[in-house]
Amino acid sequence: MIAPLAEALDRMTRVGGVWGALLVAADDGLVIAEAVMEGIKPAAIAALAASLARQSGIASEAAGAGTPRFLHLQGAAGTLAVMSAGDGLLLVAVGSDEMNVGLARLEMLRAIEAAE
Amino acid sequence: MRRSRVIEAWTYEPLERFVRESGARLTLVMTPAGQVLAQFGFARAVDVMAAAALGAAVFASSSEIARLLGNLEFSTLHHRGHRFGIFLGGCAVPRGRLLALVIYGEDSSVGLVQLFFDELVRGLQEAAPEQERSRPVLAADFERELNDSLASLFGR
Amino acid sequence: MSLVNFTTREITCKIVYYGPGRSGKTASLQYVYGRVPQDRRGRMVSLATETERTLFFDFLPLDLGSISGFTTRFHLYTVPGQLYYDSTRKLVLQGADGVVFVADSQVRQLDENIESLQGLQANLVAMGSDMRSMPMVFQYNKQDLPSELILTPTELDDALNFWALASHSSDALRGVGVFETLRAISERVLRKLSEEAPA
Repeated sequence: MIAPLAEALDRMTRVGGVWGALLVAADDGLVIAEAVMEGIKPAAIAALAASLARQSGIASEAAGAGTPRFLHLQGAAGTLAVMSAGDGLLLVAVGSDEMNVGLARLEMLRAIEAAE
Repeated sequence: MRRSRVIEAWTYEPLERFVRESGARLTLVMTPAGQVLAQFGFARAVDVMAAAALGAAVFASSSEIARLLGNLEFSTLHHRGHRFGIFLGGCAVPRGRLLALVIYGEDSSVGLVQLFFDELVRGLQEAAPEQERSRPVLAADFERELNDSLASLFGR
Repeated sequence: MSLVNFTTREITCKIVYYGPGRSGKTASLQYVYGRVPQDRRGRMVSLATETERTLFFDFLPLDLGSISGFTTRFHLYTVPGQLYYDSTRKLVLQGADGVVFVADSQVRQLDENIESLQGLQANLVAMGSDMRSMPMVFQYNKQDLPSELILTPTELDDALNFWALASHSSDALRGVGVFETLRAISERVLRKLSEEAPA
């Protein structure tokens, strides 16, 4: 499953506004594969995205909303999108505040579908 | 609320920041010989000393393996358990080498601990004083107190 | 190296019990552990094989209370005695402030004692120290055995103690001489600490 997801990272980076795409081990917060522009820190993003996913999962479960499938964090100067890929994996896209989140999400879904 | 306890005051701020950001359950900052400079989360001094001795031994063993492999520098070591993980990292400060032993749970991760360990190292390097000058520490007749102490230890 | 904190007035020193296999190093620490009140010692850590031979080290922290206004703690370690554990002996010896050489007084163990002592000297030299500068005492263990099986303390001094260091007879299983040896090495370690002149 990992190889097709890793291959999908390049396609994700072609979405408008995406600076980098990562495949992350959710439990460890470690990078499995990456396709990032210079200046992006993949290790930091992986660790923090995994932590965010974990905390969001707790909040979501407590709210009765079940396991989160997609997280979208909109910052003043950038965007973070995180999707659970199953098997303890996360797909992460980081980009500008004008990143095409919808298209990025679609690419993530396609990648997961292709990997199954 | 658990707080850090430090023997060397300059370690307090970097340690507090690290614990807050990484979500570590337990943290020790110590010398490679296992002598503790600061700790967070331990309830008993006896547990601190045992953990420090064991952590220092583990790190020393890994460093020796690295040396046997041709002087590769192993700066960090990670053991993953079911509910907890152990992280050991080394760094150099003006006063010499230090080790950090970190125990983290399911609310953190090795990636997070590693991320903020790098910041802990920078913090310790900036805060560490230069090597202290040696000063005489004991009174000339310390033997009497030592003998009294050892006698009381052994019930004599 | 001793850890001295002038702000909190705490001293921590490391003492290593060294010697050939089955000479009584672990037994010495176990005796100390058994006699010292619980509030003056920590948990004894023993990393041993299934046959109870030291694999890596034994560790015992002691609280000596206040000496010259400094809270003084000693960390006692043993090393594995078997020949092929030299790598781990080196690791345990790092940072030592004092060494107790526990010799096996049995006649048939003399070669092992000598080999272990030579190994200690080599490991100290590799650390940038040696037996003349490192506070050290000899503990001649198993002096309780029948006289025809053991060397006398004088004979052991002749064979091992080239630097005329303090030596003590002992029977570690019953604790004879263990306290005296610990006192002797403690004095030497603290004496060296108090003699370190300002730079």
